[in-house]
Amino acid sequence: MLRLWPLRQVVSSAGARFIPACQKSTAPEPAPELVEVFVNDKQVFVEPGTTVLQACAVAGIEIPRFCYHERLSIAGNCRMCLVEVERSAKPIASCAMPVMKGMKVKTDSPVTKKAREGVMEFLLMNHPLDCPICDQGGECDLQDQSMNFGSDKSRFTDIAFTGKRAVEDKNVGPLVKTIMTRCIHCTRCIRFASEVAGVEDLGTTGRGNEMQVGTYVEKMLQSELSGNVIDLCPVGALTSKPYAFTARPWETRKIESIDVMDALGSNIVVSMRTNEVMRVLPRVNEDINEEWISDKTRFAYDGLKRQRLTTPFLKDANGQLMQTDWESAFLAIARKLQGVEGSQMAAVAGGLVDAEALTSLKDLMNRLGCETLCTEEIFPMDGSGTDFRSNYLMNTTIAGVEEADVVLFIGTNPRFEAPVFNARVRKSWIHNDLKVAMIGAPVDLTYEYEHLGETVDVIEKLAGGNHPFCKVLESAKRPMVVMGSSCLQRSDGSALHFMVSTLANRVKAASGADAEWRVLNVLHRVASQVAALDLGYSAGVSGVREAKPQMLFLLGADEGAITRSDLADGAFVVYQGHHGDQGAQMADVILPGAAYTEKDATYVNTEGRAQLTRQAVTPPGMARNDWKVLRALSELLGVTLPYDKLQEVRQRMAEISPTLVRVGEIEEANFFKQAIEATKAGKTSLGKEPLVPPQQVLKDFYMTDSITRASPTMAKCVQAATEAESSVH
Amino acid sequence: MSKYIEKISRLFRIIKENGGVLGSVRTVFRMEELKTGTLVGEDELGNKYFHNPMYFVGRSRWVVYSDAAGHDYDGSQVPAEWHRWLSYISDETPDKADLPKYPWLAKHTENQSGTPQEYVPYSTTRPKIQAWKPKTEEVYRKHF
Amino acid sequence: MASVKLFCARASAQCVLRNAVRPTYVAQERSCYKQVGKPEPDMRWKPIMDRASQTVFWTELFSGLGITLGHIFKEPATINYPFEKGPLSPRFRGEHALRRYPSGEERCIACKLCEAICPAQAITIEAEARADGSRRTTRYDIDMTKCIYCGFCQEACPVDAIVEGPNFEFSTETREELLYNKEKLLNNGDKWEAEIAANLQADYLYR
Repeated sequence: MLRLWPLRQVVSSAGARFIPACQKSTAPEPAPELVEVFVNDKQVFVEPGTTVLQACAVAGIEIPRFCYHERLSIAGNCRMCLVEVERSAKPIASCAMPVMKGMKVKTDSPVTKKAREGVMEFLLMNHPLDCPICDQGGECDLQDQSMNFGSDKSRFTDIAFTGKRAVEDKNVGPLVKTIMTRCIHCTRCIRFASEVAGVEDLGTTGRGNEMQVGTYVEKMLQSELSGNVIDLCPVGALTSKPYAFTARPWETRKIESIDVMDALGSNIVVSMRTNEVMRVLPRVNEDINEEWISDKTRFAYDGLKRQRLTTPFLKDANGQLMQTDWESAFLAIARKLQGVEGSQMAAVAGGLVDAEALTSLKDLMNRLGCETLCTEEIFPMDGSGTDFRSNYLMNTTIAGVEEADVVLFIGTNPRFEAPVFNARVRKSWIHNDLKVAMIGAPVDLTYEYEHLGETVDVIEKLAGGNHPFCKVLESAKRPMVVMGSSCLQRSDGSALHFMVSTLANRVKAASGADAEWRVLNVLHRVASQVAALDLGYSAGVSGVREAKPQMLFLLGADEGAITRSDLADGAFVVYQGHHGDQGAQMADVILPGAAYTEKDATYVNTEGRAQLTRQAVTPPGMARNDWKVLRALSELLGVTLPYDKLQEVRQRMAEISPTLVRVGEIEEANFFKQAIEATKAGKTSLGKEPLVPPQQVLKDFYMTDSITRASPTMAKCVQAATEAESSVH
Repeated sequence: MSKYIEKISRLFRIIKENGGVLGSVRTVFRMEELKTGTLVGEDELGNKYFHNPMYFVGRSRWVVYSDAAGHDYDGSQVPAEWHRWLSYISDETPDKADLPKYPWLAKHTENQSGTPQEYVPYSTTRPKIQAWKPKTEEVYRKHF
Repeated sequence: MASVKLFCARASAQCVLRNAVRPTYVAQERSCYKQVGKPEPDMRWKPIMDRASQTVFWTELFSGLGITLGHIFKEPATINYPFEKGPLSPRFRGEHALRRYPSGEERCIACKLCEAICPAQAITIEAEARADGSRRTTRYDIDMTKCIYCGFCQEACPVDAIVEGPNFEFSTETREELLYNKEKLLNNGDKWEAEIAANLQADYLYR
């Protein structure tokens, strides 16, 4: 069920909303009477409107399918799900047929088997026999189902040698490789693009044997979620271009992990072979990413193999960084630190750092007498600032969007800052009539929204209650205000945060939302921020600039927030991280650390949900897990940290903030009133500049951190997206 | 009696074919055996191939390694074409058999283990991890 | 009391049965008599003299030497390797080789089926797209010391790229020489292609 404007008006005017059976309706409806269905003479009760295929699933029988996907609308065009139903002249397509009372479905009858074999024969008639060179080989639905449900012999002889149907491959950009001859026209990719990703790029041309899936004109698939069509494709028509030919599914080991490219913490599976990350796939987590991941999550892994720090570096007498060993690097640091007081030190943590390393760094610096520990990403510290967790979390939770009825985005572009969250908003917009409004630079969010303005005075008006949109917010049952952390980077960030909090509290009070509903949300951009704030880091490097430290410790800080000019003359800079980027270039000593696929570590996402990454591969060369490096360094500095094992680090984390070790859970944070009261005192004036999120168009999306900047695939994406902007299509 | 006369005459014939008494002594010294048979061909390395069905299968085809090899003859000096005939896989000698000839076929080499030309394993792939190299001062100034 | 009676009845029945069959099996036993031990030496004078003269004049030794002498002039029963070689089958599974198409293009498409089926896990493959977009291996290593020469790899290969050739004379002086890489295997194919192709042709009806 697509949200097409005319259709939507018709539907809403008729006063009835058609919810496709594949979607869970979130609105509470009166419990309908269950329908009795017999699947292979087994009695099951299902809700009316359920399809036969779902009823069979309830009975524990899986019907083969190609076009049906539970998160997409129903197409019913592959015919693989045909089953026999008693008193029906022909076998029916079970994915599209709603159940009827007393229906008797037979999934193993000769009629069903013959129907499946026939469909499979037709599918294979025009499918090339190139499984050995097909990347889908081994995880191909067509392979599996032709083994399970196909005929054991072929009638395809091609006596005239006319050849099978052949279709020209389409070029849809640097991420998705197309081999269109393999396509079986299930249209999953088309439905995904138009329904979930919200780009009307894919479609079919021609009909019958001439039918082709493609982009009509040759152009890039301009979506930040385009990689998901690779998973959706049941055959090898759409495969991953960077992964092409590199591995087989049976030879990779799959490690369940967490993504750190954005602050959502999408659940992923890292496929590993011979100590090399081969690819990244999504893992189902209904609370965060359902089963989608963004292209940056999926394809940035080749950045983990480039520009890596594999040995410690130490600046020699000529000021050149030279490779060295751990001992001399540590000794150099220890020697330099002998005369430096704690107040002359500072530490800056970057966006990809895990909670264990943050804990170790904080303990280490505190033991040296240093209290200047900050994150690169700025967050307002005035007033209640980061004292209350609810000030800096996405309190409604990601899944909470599906319950909301109005969302107001302020200074953010969720499409590129949190693509999977944006897909969730779009899903809600389609199925739940969600109203979306936006303050900030107008960007394409893939769905329609009301643009309230670009400048902050709109927020002021909204907070004061004299804006036309206030009515919508006040009449909402479950409103959400989502503030992007990018807009808090401005100099008036704290005033902005206060203004938005005021607005959220006003809206909450005015609307009829229940006490547990939380309106204020902050959408972070980097994976480490919430954990760092939980651990008591001060957000933003202004403290470092004031202190002009003699010694600076950069933990994965690569965004260039601090330069040499912010430090005292001849300051000593230590960089610890996994990529040679801006941070490493300005350092005197470099300590190689581990990237997110190389360590067991904790990351807290923008909802405040702690999640664990798992070690898939070993850190390259002499690189080591970050907290272990800090632990070893502390011993040479004479302030040995009191933990030797990961468990002990986590115990220490739990002492600081118990939420960091409650993996997968969200701690409720609801202190908006107290927060706003505490903030009233320190209020600065709002700026006049428009709110412009840093990532506005697709080409801004791909390269945002040290891993993606090192990734050749992401570089190709930027190039392709830049070219696509200037293309006539 | 005629049986023995025939055997003795064959001995003399074999000695004659092997180049007289001296030649026969040389052959026995090199091959530890004196045999007679028809020469069916010679390969590009100079090895001569003989056939005599009088001997049982396994002995009925043999190779006399090229004089260039001297006493360093080795089983692996037989090239692929003749290996097929010599191992009784086919009864056709290479000139009669329709063996493929491509320009990219490699020249036969004997087993080179223990010689300076021996095969030493090496990796055919690029390194998995590309390490970062610090930019020198000039490059740094140009880029940042 | 009843059980005692029953036992008596059974005992008497057995006795009757045994008496009935005894005459036959006793006769069988006696007709099967065989001498299995060393026969008693004949202790008459003539055989004693014969035995003594055989011992004194070493006749057994000389007759044995005669047999040895006779075999010098007979055709030997062994083959004189490396001049003569034993018969091989066209299916003989010897040294591995990677083949090429007649155009010179390597056959292997990096499908990794041989790697998957190899019971000794001797094959290691890494692949990526070549510059022209075709699927090719960058690494094709066979650890010949692990290989058990089962021939599953050539059975699994959809394009007849990896084959076990007819060569068995590839012994080496060091172990690492047996860790074959892709270049070595392709070179093997180039050296042996004439015979490999002919052998496959000879056997195609049975494959």
